[in-house]
Amino acid sequence: MIEIAGLRVVLPPAVAAVDGVDLAIAAGEFVVILGRSGAGKTTFLRALNRLVEPTAGTVRVGGRAITGADAATLRGLRRKIGMVFQQFNLVRRASVLDNVLAGRLGWTRTLPTLFGRFGTEDRRIALECLAQVGLAAFAARRADTLSGGEQQRVAIARALAQAPSVILADEPTASLDPALTGSIMDLLKAINVRRGLTLVVSQHQLETARAYATRVVGFRRGRVVFDGAPVALTPAVAATIYSEER
Amino acid sequence: MRRATIVIGLVVLAWTVWDTGADPVRLARGIPWILDFLRRMLPPDLRVLPAALLGALKTVEIALLGTAVAAALALPLGFLSARNVAAPPIFHPARAALNFFRSVDTLVYALIFVAAVGLGPFPGVLAVVAYTTTSLAKLYSEAIEGIDRGPVDAITATGATRLQILRFGVLPQVLPLFLSYVLYRLETNIRAATVLGFVGAGGIGFYLQTYLRMIDYPAASTVLLVTVAMVMVVDAISSRLRARLV
Repeated sequence: MIEIAGLRVVLPPAVAAVDGVDLAIAAGEFVVILGRSGAGKTTFLRALNRLVEPTAGTVRVGGRAITGADAATLRGLRRKIGMVFQQFNLVRRASVLDNVLAGRLGWTRTLPTLFGRFGTEDRRIALECLAQVGLAAFAARRADTLSGGEQQRVAIARALAQAPSVILADEPTASLDPALTGSIMDLLKAINVRRGLTLVVSQHQLETARAYATRVVGFRRGRVVFDGAPVALTPAVAATIYSEER
Repeated sequence: MRRATIVIGLVVLAWTVWDTGADPVRLARGIPWILDFLRRMLPPDLRVLPAALLGALKTVEIALLGTAVAAALALPLGFLSARNVAAPPIFHPARAALNFFRSVDTLVYALIFVAAVGLGPFPGVLAVVAYTTTSLAKLYSEAIEGIDRGPVDAITATGATRLQILRFGVLPQVLPLFLSYVLYRLETNIRAATVLGFVGAGGIGFYLQTYLRMIDYPAASTVLLVTVAMVMVVDAISSRLRARLV
Protein backbone atom coordinates (compact mmCIF):
# COMPACT_ATOMS: atom_id res chain seq x y z
CA MET A 1 0.00 0.00 0.00
CA ILE A 2 2.79 2.42 0.92
CA GLU A 3 6.30 2.01 -0.48
CA ILE A 4 9.00 4.29 0.82
CA ALA A 5 12.51 4.24 -0.60
CA GLY A 6 15.53 6.29 0.44
CA LEU A 7 13.36 8.93 2.07
CA ARG A 8 15.28 11.90 3.39
CA VAL A 9 13.86 15.14 4.74
CA VAL A 10 16.24 17.93 5.62
CA LEU A 11 14.58 20.74 7.53
CA PRO A 12 16.06 24.25 7.62
CA PRO A 13 18.70 25.10 8.58
CA ALA A 14 20.30 21.65 8.05
CA VAL A 15 18.69 18.99 10.22
CA ALA A 16 18.12 15.60 8.65
CA ALA A 17 14.81 14.90 10.42
CA VAL A 18 14.30 11.79 8.28
CA ASP A 19 17.59 10.30 7.27
CA GLY A 20 17.25 7.50 4.73
CA VAL A 21 14.14 5.43 5.40
CA ASP A 22 13.10 2.39 3.36
CA LEU A 23 9.80 0.84 4.32
CA ALA A 24 7.00 -1.12 2.68
CA ILE A 25 3.64 -1.12 4.41
CA ALA A 26 1.02 -3.61 3.25
CA ALA A 27 -2.72 -2.95 3.04
CA GLY A 28 -4.54 -3.52 6.31
CA GLU A 29 -1.50 -3.19 8.56
CA PHE A 30 -1.64 -1.23 11.81
CA VAL A 31 1.85 0.19 11.97
CA VAL A 32 3.00 2.14 15.01
CA ILE A 33 5.96 4.41 14.46
CA LEU A 34 7.64 4.39 17.85
CA GLY A 35 10.25 6.84 19.04
CA ARG A 36 11.21 9.60 21.42
CA SER A 37 10.00 13.10 20.65
CA GLY A 38 12.36 14.58 18.08
CA ALA A 39 13.10 11.20 16.50
CA GLY A 40 11.56 12.37 13.20
CA LYS A 41 8.17 10.62 13.45
CA THR A 42 6.10 13.72 12.69
CA THR A 43 8.28 14.78 9.78
CA PHE A 44 8.18 11.23 8.42
CA LEU A 45 4.36 11.10 8.47
CA ARG A 46 4.07 14.57 6.97
CA ALA A 47 6.44 13.61 4.18
CA LEU A 48 4.14 10.72 3.21
CA ASN A 49 1.42 13.10 1.96
CA ARG A 50 3.91 15.88 1.24
CA LEU A 51 2.78 18.34 3.86
CA VAL A 52 6.54 18.44 4.18
CA GLU A 53 8.48 18.25 0.92
CA PRO A 54 10.95 15.33 0.95
CA THR A 55 14.54 16.24 0.12
CA ALA A 56 15.25 12.90 -1.52
CA GLY A 57 13.70 9.48 -2.03
CA THR A 58 10.33 8.27 -3.23
CA VAL A 59 6.97 7.61 -1.66
CA ARG A 60 4.37 5.54 -3.51
CA VAL A 61 0.83 5.07 -2.27
CA GLY A 62 -1.40 2.47 -3.87
CA GLY A 63 1.25 2.02 -6.56
CA ARG A 64 1.29 5.69 -7.57
CA ALA A 65 4.19 8.03 -6.90
CA ILE A 66 3.33 10.88 -4.56
CA THR A 67 6.83 12.32 -4.73
CA GLY A 68 7.22 14.32 -7.91
CA ALA A 69 3.48 14.29 -8.62
CA ASP A 70 2.02 17.50 -10.06
CA ALA A 71 -0.50 19.51 -8.02
CA ALA A 72 -3.63 17.83 -9.40
CA THR A 73 -2.23 14.31 -9.02
CA LEU A 74 -1.03 15.13 -5.51
CA ARG A 75 -4.53 16.30 -4.51
CA GLY A 76 -6.01 13.11 -5.95
CA LEU A 77 -3.60 11.01 -3.90
CA ARG A 78 -4.02 13.06 -0.75
CA ARG A 79 -7.76 12.50 -0.64
CA LYS A 80 -7.12 8.76 -0.29
CA ILE A 81 -4.88 9.46 2.74
CA GLY A 82 -6.66 10.68 5.85
CA MET A 83 -4.62 12.48 8.46
CA VAL A 84 -5.12 12.89 12.19
CA PHE A 85 -3.01 15.36 14.15
CA GLN A 86 -1.76 15.68 17.70
CA GLN A 87 -3.51 19.06 18.11
CA PHE A 88 -6.68 17.86 16.27
CA ASN A 89 -6.41 20.87 13.91
CA LEU A 90 -10.11 21.46 13.73
CA VAL A 91 -11.48 24.82 12.64
CA ARG A 92 -12.46 25.81 16.15
CA ARG A 93 -15.19 28.31 15.28
CA ALA A 94 -16.88 26.06 12.74
CA SER A 95 -19.55 23.50 13.58
CA VAL A 96 -18.65 19.85 14.11
CA LEU A 97 -20.47 18.88 10.90
CA ASP A 98 -18.67 21.56 8.87
CA ASN A 99 -15.36 20.22 10.15
CA VAL A 100 -16.27 16.70 9.04
CA LEU A 101 -17.56 17.97 5.69
CA ALA A 102 -14.09 19.39 5.06
CA GLY A 103 -13.05 15.77 4.60
CA ARG A 104 -15.15 15.74 1.42
CA LEU A 105 -13.33 18.68 -0.19
CA GLY A 106 -11.11 16.50 -2.32
CA TRP A 107 -14.19 14.87 -3.88
CA THR A 108 -16.21 17.98 -4.62
CA ARG A 109 -16.12 20.66 -7.28
CA THR A 110 -14.36 23.74 -5.93
CA LEU A 111 -16.87 26.47 -6.80
CA PRO A 112 -19.97 25.34 -4.85
CA THR A 113 -17.88 24.53 -1.78
CA LEU A 114 -16.49 28.08 -1.75
CA PHE A 115 -20.06 29.17 -0.97
CA GLY A 116 -20.34 26.48 1.69
CA ARG A 117 -22.48 24.22 -0.49
CA PHE A 118 -22.06 20.46 -0.27
CA GLY A 119 -24.10 17.80 -2.02
CA THR A 120 -26.61 15.67 -0.12
CA GLU A 121 -24.38 12.63 -0.62
CA ASP A 122 -21.44 14.47 0.97
CA ARG A 123 -23.63 15.44 3.92
CA ARG A 124 -24.85 11.87 4.30
CA ILE A 125 -21.28 10.56 4.35
CA ALA A 126 -20.21 13.22 6.87
CA LEU A 127 -23.09 12.41 9.23
CA GLU A 128 -22.43 8.70 8.88
CA CYS A 129 -18.75 9.19 9.79
CA LEU A 130 -19.76 11.34 12.73
CA ALA A 131 -22.08 8.58 13.91
CA GLN A 132 -19.27 6.09 13.56
CA VAL A 133 -17.14 7.99 16.07
CA GLY A 134 -20.16 8.24 18.38
CA LEU A 135 -20.77 11.98 18.00
CA ALA A 136 -23.89 12.13 15.79
CA ALA A 137 -25.65 14.25 18.40
CA PHE A 138 -22.88 16.87 18.30
CA ALA A 139 -23.21 17.80 14.60
CA ALA A 140 -24.48 21.35 15.18
CA ARG A 141 -22.16 22.18 18.09
CA ARG A 142 -19.23 24.54 17.63
CA ALA A 143 -16.03 22.49 17.53
CA ASP A 144 -14.31 24.38 20.35
CA THR A 145 -17.13 23.58 22.77
CA LEU A 146 -16.12 19.91 22.72
CA SER A 147 -13.60 18.25 25.02
CA GLY A 148 -10.17 17.28 23.69
CA GLY A 149 -11.11 13.63 23.29
CA GLU A 150 -14.30 14.55 21.44
CA GLN A 151 -12.41 16.95 19.18
CA GLN A 152 -9.99 14.20 18.24
CA ARG A 153 -12.97 11.97 17.39
CA VAL A 154 -14.30 14.72 15.12
CA ALA A 155 -10.88 14.88 13.48
CA ILE A 156 -11.00 11.11 12.93
CA ALA A 157 -14.49 11.47 11.42
CA ARG A 158 -13.10 14.14 9.08
CA ALA A 159 -10.38 11.73 7.96
CA LEU A 160 -12.98 8.95 7.47
CA ALA A 161 -15.16 11.27 5.39
CA GLN A 162 -12.41 11.24 2.78
CA ALA A 163 -13.17 7.54 2.22
CA PRO A 164 -9.43 6.96 2.49
CA SER A 165 -7.48 3.75 2.12
CA VAL A 166 -4.79 4.94 4.53
CA ILE A 167 -4.95 6.98 7.72
CA LEU A 168 -1.86 8.68 9.09
CA ALA A 169 -2.16 9.62 12.76
CA ASP A 170 0.53 11.80 14.27
CA GLU A 171 0.67 11.27 18.06
CA PRO A 172 -3.14 11.24 18.17
CA THR A 173 -3.27 10.81 21.94
CA ALA A 174 -0.29 12.90 23.06
CA SER A 175 -2.29 16.03 23.92
CA LEU A 176 -5.09 14.13 25.62
CA ASP A 177 -5.70 13.00 29.17
CA PRO A 178 -3.93 9.59 29.49
CA ALA A 179 -7.28 8.02 30.40
CA LEU A 180 -8.52 8.85 26.88
CA THR A 181 -5.59 7.21 25.08
CA GLY A 182 -7.35 3.84 25.07
CA SER A 183 -10.63 5.10 23.63
CA ILE A 184 -8.95 6.93 20.74
CA MET A 185 -6.62 4.01 19.98
CA ASP A 186 -9.60 1.60 20.20
CA LEU A 187 -11.41 3.75 17.66
CA LEU A 188 -8.43 3.71 15.28
CA LYS A 189 -8.10 -0.04 15.75
CA ALA A 190 -11.80 -0.54 14.98
CA ILE A 191 -11.39 1.46 11.77
CA ASN A 192 -8.39 -0.69 10.89
CA VAL A 193 -10.22 -3.95 11.52
CA ARG A 194 -13.73 -3.16 10.29
CA ARG A 195 -12.96 -0.98 7.32
CA GLY A 196 -9.72 -2.73 6.49
CA LEU A 197 -7.88 0.60 6.34
CA THR A 198 -4.11 0.80 6.60
CA LEU A 199 -3.07 2.77 9.67
CA VAL A 200 0.25 4.42 10.34
CA VAL A 201 0.25 5.87 13.84
CA SER A 202 3.14 7.57 15.58
CA GLN A 203 3.46 7.06 19.31
CA HIS A 204 6.04 7.70 21.98
CA GLN A 205 4.44 5.27 24.45
CA LEU A 206 5.81 1.75 24.36
CA GLU A 207 2.80 0.09 26.00
CA THR A 208 0.36 1.66 23.57
CA ALA A 209 2.45 0.49 20.63
CA ARG A 210 2.55 -3.05 22.02
CA ALA A 211 -1.19 -3.11 22.65
CA TYR A 212 -2.43 -1.94 19.27
CA ALA A 213 0.17 -2.45 16.55
CA THR A 214 0.40 -5.35 14.15
CA ARG A 215 3.87 -4.04 13.39
CA VAL A 216 6.17 -1.64 15.18
CA VAL A 217 8.75 0.53 13.43
CA GLY A 218 11.25 2.07 15.85
CA PHE A 219 12.63 5.49 14.90
CA ARG A 220 15.75 7.05 16.31
CA ARG A 221 17.37 10.18 14.89
CA GLY A 222 15.46 9.90 11.63
CA ARG A 223 16.39 6.28 10.97
CA VAL A 224 14.59 2.96 11.37
CA VAL A 225 16.28 1.05 14.21
CA PHE A 226 13.64 -1.65 14.64
CA ASP A 227 11.00 -3.15 12.40
CA GLY A 228 9.00 -6.11 13.54
CA ALA A 229 6.09 -7.59 15.45
CA PRO A 230 5.16 -6.11 18.83
CA VAL A 231 6.23 -9.35 20.55
CA ALA A 232 9.77 -8.84 19.25
CA LEU A 233 9.89 -5.52 21.06
CA THR A 234 12.13 -6.71 23.89
CA PRO A 235 13.42 -4.40 26.64
CA ALA A 236 16.80 -4.38 24.88
CA VAL A 237 15.20 -3.23 21.62
CA ALA A 238 13.18 -0.60 23.46
CA ALA A 239 16.37 0.66 25.07
CA THR A 240 17.91 1.13 21.62
CA ILE A 241 14.90 3.08 20.38
CA TYR A 242 14.80 5.33 23.40
CA SER A 243 18.55 5.73 23.98
CA GLU A 244 19.96 9.22 23.72
CA GLU A 245 23.54 8.76 22.54
CA ARG A 246 24.40 8.17 18.92
CA MET B 1 23.46 56.27 24.37
CA ARG B 2 20.13 56.56 26.15
CA ARG B 3 20.99 60.00 27.48
CA ALA B 4 22.01 61.15 24.01
CA THR B 5 18.63 59.98 22.65
CA ILE B 6 16.77 61.93 25.32
CA VAL B 7 18.85 65.07 24.67
CA ILE B 8 18.26 64.84 20.92
CA GLY B 9 14.55 64.30 21.51
CA LEU B 10 14.34 67.38 23.74
CA VAL B 11 16.25 69.51 21.22
CA VAL B 12 13.89 68.41 18.42
CA LEU B 13 10.83 69.20 20.55
CA ALA B 14 12.23 72.61 21.54
CA TRP B 15 12.90 73.42 17.91
CA THR B 16 9.32 72.47 16.94
CA VAL B 17 7.96 74.73 19.69
CA TRP B 18 9.98 77.61 18.24
CA ASP B 19 9.24 76.81 14.61
CA THR B 20 5.46 76.40 15.04
CA GLY B 21 5.26 79.54 17.14
CA ALA B 22 3.62 77.56 19.95
CA ASP B 23 2.98 80.09 22.71
CA PRO B 24 0.86 79.45 25.86
CA VAL B 25 0.52 83.20 26.38
CA ARG B 26 -1.05 83.59 22.97
CA LEU B 27 -3.43 80.76 23.79
CA ALA B 28 -4.37 82.41 27.09
CA ARG B 29 -5.03 85.69 25.27
CA GLY B 30 -7.26 83.81 22.84
CA ILE B 31 -9.47 82.23 25.50
CA PRO B 32 -11.93 85.15 25.65
CA TRP B 33 -12.40 84.84 21.91
CA ILE B 34 -13.14 81.13 22.21
CA LEU B 35 -15.70 81.89 24.92
CA ASP B 36 -17.17 84.61 22.75
CA PHE B 37 -17.41 82.16 19.87
CA LEU B 38 -19.17 79.60 22.08
CA ARG B 39 -21.50 82.25 23.46
CA ARG B 40 -22.49 83.30 19.97
CA MET B 41 -23.22 79.66 19.07
CA LEU B 42 -25.86 79.50 21.79
CA PRO B 43 -28.66 78.78 21.66
CA PRO B 44 -28.49 76.41 18.70
CA ASP B 45 -30.76 77.39 15.84
CA LEU B 46 -33.07 74.39 15.63
CA ARG B 47 -34.67 75.62 12.42
CA VAL B 48 -31.77 74.07 10.52
CA LEU B 49 -32.22 70.72 12.28
CA PRO B 50 -33.95 69.02 9.29
CA ALA B 51 -31.12 70.08 6.99
CA ALA B 52 -28.52 68.94 9.51
CA LEU B 53 -30.20 65.56 9.91
CA LEU B 54 -30.35 65.08 6.15
CA GLY B 55 -26.66 65.97 5.96
CA ALA B 56 -25.89 63.49 8.73
CA LEU B 57 -27.82 60.78 6.93
CA LYS B 58 -25.84 61.46 3.79
CA THR B 59 -22.58 61.25 5.75
CA VAL B 60 -23.60 57.90 7.22
CA GLU B 61 -24.49 56.71 3.72
CA ILE B 62 -21.10 57.79 2.38
CA ALA B 63 -19.28 55.97 5.18
CA LEU B 64 -21.50 52.90 4.97
CA LEU B 65 -21.29 52.42 1.20
CA GLY B 66 -17.61 53.31 1.05
CA THR B 67 -16.71 50.92 3.87
CA ALA B 68 -18.82 48.09 2.44
CA VAL B 69 -17.23 48.34 -1.01
CA ALA B 70 -13.77 48.63 0.53
CA ALA B 71 -14.36 45.60 2.78
CA ALA B 72 -14.99 43.48 -0.33
CA LEU B 73 -12.21 44.96 -2.47
CA ALA B 74 -9.72 44.51 0.37
CA LEU B 75 -10.34 40.74 0.51
CA PRO B 76 -8.22 39.66 -2.47
CA LEU B 77 -5.66 42.37 -1.67
CA GLY B 78 -5.39 41.14 1.91
CA PHE B 79 -4.67 37.58 0.82
CA LEU B 80 -2.18 38.72 -1.83
CA SER B 81 -0.23 40.75 0.71
CA ALA B 82 -0.08 38.05 3.39
CA ARG B 83 3.38 36.56 3.69
CA ASN B 84 2.13 33.05 4.50
CA VAL B 85 -0.30 32.87 1.56
CA ALA B 86 1.19 34.77 -1.38
CA ALA B 87 4.48 33.95 -3.08
CA PRO B 88 7.25 36.56 -2.57
CA PRO B 89 7.00 37.97 -6.15
CA ILE B 90 3.34 38.84 -5.44
CA PHE B 91 3.58 39.63 -1.75
CA HIS B 92 6.31 42.27 -1.95
CA PRO B 93 4.75 44.50 -4.65
CA ALA B 94 1.31 44.11 -3.04
CA ARG B 95 2.65 45.22 0.34
CA ALA B 96 4.50 48.14 -1.21
CA ALA B 97 1.35 49.27 -3.07
CA LEU B 98 -0.70 49.10 0.14
CA ASN B 99 1.80 51.21 2.05
CA PHE B 100 1.95 53.74 -0.78
CA PHE B 101 -1.82 54.25 -1.12
CA ARG B 102 -2.40 54.12 2.61
CA SER B 103 -0.09 57.07 3.20
CA VAL B 104 -2.65 59.40 1.59
CA ASP B 105 -5.60 60.41 3.77
CA THR B 106 -9.28 60.16 2.83
CA LEU B 107 -9.56 63.96 2.60
CA VAL B 108 -6.79 64.13 0.00
CA TYR B 109 -8.51 61.41 -2.03
CA ALA B 110 -11.71 63.47 -1.78
CA LEU B 111 -9.94 66.48 -3.35
CA ILE B 112 -8.78 64.28 -6.21
CA PHE B 113 -12.19 62.66 -6.79
CA VAL B 114 -14.08 65.96 -6.59
CA ALA B 115 -11.83 67.18 -9.37
CA ALA B 116 -12.46 63.95 -11.28
CA VAL B 117 -16.23 63.39 -10.96
CA GLY B 118 -17.54 66.72 -9.64
CA LEU B 119 -19.17 67.82 -6.37
CA GLY B 120 -21.50 65.72 -4.21
CA PRO B 121 -21.53 62.59 -2.08
CA PHE B 122 -20.24 60.32 -4.85
CA PRO B 123 -16.62 61.58 -4.77
CA GLY B 124 -16.92 61.21 -0.99
CA VAL B 125 -17.80 57.53 -1.38
CA LEU B 126 -14.89 57.06 -3.78
CA ALA B 127 -12.51 58.73 -1.34
CA VAL B 128 -13.64 56.47 1.50
CA VAL B 129 -13.25 53.42 -0.75
CA ALA B 130 -9.76 54.46 -1.85
CA TYR B 131 -8.35 54.91 1.62
CA THR B 132 -10.29 52.17 3.41
CA THR B 133 -9.52 49.45 0.86
CA THR B 134 -5.80 49.70 1.42
CA SER B 135 -5.99 50.19 5.17
CA LEU B 136 -8.33 47.20 5.56
CA ALA B 137 -6.19 45.10 3.24
CA LYS B 138 -3.23 45.79 5.52
CA LEU B 139 -5.23 44.76 8.61
CA TYR B 140 -6.60 41.68 6.82
CA SER B 141 -3.13 40.56 5.77
CA GLU B 142 -1.81 40.88 9.31
CA ALA B 143 -4.74 38.80 10.59
CA ILE B 144 -4.00 36.15 7.95
CA GLU B 145 -0.34 36.07 8.95
CA GLY B 146 -1.37 35.39 12.55
CA ILE B 147 -3.48 32.29 11.90
CA ASP B 148 -3.02 28.84 13.38
CA ARG B 149 -1.21 26.65 10.84
CA GLY B 150 -2.93 23.46 12.05
CA PRO B 151 -6.31 23.69 10.33
CA VAL B 152 -4.55 24.73 7.10
CA ASP B 153 -2.47 21.54 7.25
CA ALA B 154 -5.57 19.49 7.96
CA ILE B 155 -7.52 20.94 5.02
CA THR B 156 -4.49 20.55 2.75
CA ALA B 157 -4.24 16.89 3.72
CA THR B 158 -7.83 16.23 2.53
CA GLY B 159 -6.79 16.91 -1.06
CA ALA B 160 -8.45 20.32 -1.16
CA THR B 161 -7.57 22.88 -3.84
CA ARG B 162 -5.74 26.10 -2.96
CA LEU B 163 -8.97 28.12 -2.96
CA GLN B 164 -10.67 25.52 -0.76
CA ILE B 165 -7.75 25.67 1.66
CA LEU B 166 -8.16 29.45 1.91
CA ARG B 167 -11.93 29.14 2.28
CA PHE B 168 -11.97 26.33 4.87
CA GLY B 169 -8.58 26.57 6.58
CA VAL B 170 -7.92 30.31 6.65
CA LEU B 171 -11.19 32.23 6.27
CA PRO B 172 -13.05 30.78 9.29
CA GLN B 173 -10.11 31.76 11.47
CA VAL B 174 -9.90 35.35 10.25
CA LEU B 175 -13.51 36.23 9.40
CA PRO B 176 -14.52 37.45 12.88
CA LEU B 177 -11.38 39.60 12.96
CA PHE B 178 -12.15 40.94 9.49
CA LEU B 179 -15.68 41.92 10.49
CA SER B 180 -14.37 43.58 13.61
CA TYR B 181 -11.89 45.62 11.54
CA VAL B 182 -14.63 46.60 9.10
CA LEU B 183 -16.82 47.89 11.92
CA TYR B 184 -13.89 49.77 13.41
CA ARG B 185 -13.20 51.32 10.01
CA LEU B 186 -16.86 52.26 9.72
CA GLU B 187 -16.55 54.20 12.98
CA THR B 188 -13.46 56.10 11.83
CA ASN B 189 -14.98 56.65 8.39
CA ILE B 190 -18.03 58.32 9.89
CA ARG B 191 -15.65 60.80 11.52
CA ALA B 192 -13.58 61.18 8.36
CA ALA B 193 -16.73 61.67 6.27
CA THR B 194 -17.91 64.59 8.42
CA VAL B 195 -15.13 66.77 7.00
CA LEU B 196 -15.48 65.51 3.41
CA GLY B 197 -18.14 68.18 2.84
CA PHE B 198 -15.48 70.84 3.44
CA VAL B 199 -13.92 69.99 0.08
CA GLY B 200 -17.25 69.56 -1.69
CA ALA B 201 -17.61 65.80 -1.27
CA GLY B 202 -21.05 65.86 0.36
CA GLY B 203 -22.55 65.16 3.73
CA ILE B 204 -22.92 67.08 6.96
CA GLY B 205 -19.56 68.85 6.60
CA PHE B 206 -21.03 70.87 3.75
CA TYR B 207 -23.62 72.42 6.08
CA LEU B 208 -21.09 73.09 8.82
CA GLN B 209 -18.80 74.88 6.42
CA THR B 210 -21.65 76.84 4.83
CA TYR B 211 -23.01 78.14 8.15
CA LEU B 212 -19.55 79.02 9.42
CA ARG B 213 -18.88 80.99 6.24
CA MET B 214 -22.23 82.78 6.63
CA ILE B 215 -21.21 83.56 10.24
CA ASP B 216 -24.45 81.85 11.32
CA TYR B 217 -23.02 80.35 14.50
CA PRO B 218 -26.33 79.16 16.05
CA ALA B 219 -27.02 77.14 12.90
CA ALA B 220 -23.45 75.81 12.87
CA SER B 221 -23.81 74.68 16.49
CA THR B 222 -26.93 72.68 15.60
CA VAL B 223 -24.93 70.94 12.86
CA LEU B 224 -22.09 70.26 15.30
CA LEU B 225 -24.46 68.76 17.87
CA VAL B 226 -26.01 66.52 15.23
CA THR B 227 -22.51 65.43 14.18
CA VAL B 228 -21.59 64.52 17.75
CA ALA B 229 -24.84 62.62 18.22
CA MET B 230 -24.38 60.78 14.92
CA VAL B 231 -20.83 59.70 15.76
CA MET B 232 -21.84 58.56 19.23
CA VAL B 233 -24.78 56.53 17.94
CA VAL B 234 -22.72 54.80 15.26
CA ASP B 235 -19.88 54.13 17.73
CA ALA B 236 -22.28 52.62 20.23
CA ILE B 237 -23.93 50.31 17.68
CA SER B 238 -20.64 49.32 16.14
CA SER B 239 -18.82 48.60 19.38
CA ARG B 240 -21.73 46.52 20.59
CA LEU B 241 -21.59 44.47 17.37
CA ARG B 242 -17.83 44.11 17.69
CA ALA B 243 -18.08 42.87 21.26
CA ARG B 244 -20.25 40.03 20.00
CA LEU B 245 -17.68 38.93 17.43
CA VAL B 246 -14.78 38.08 19.69
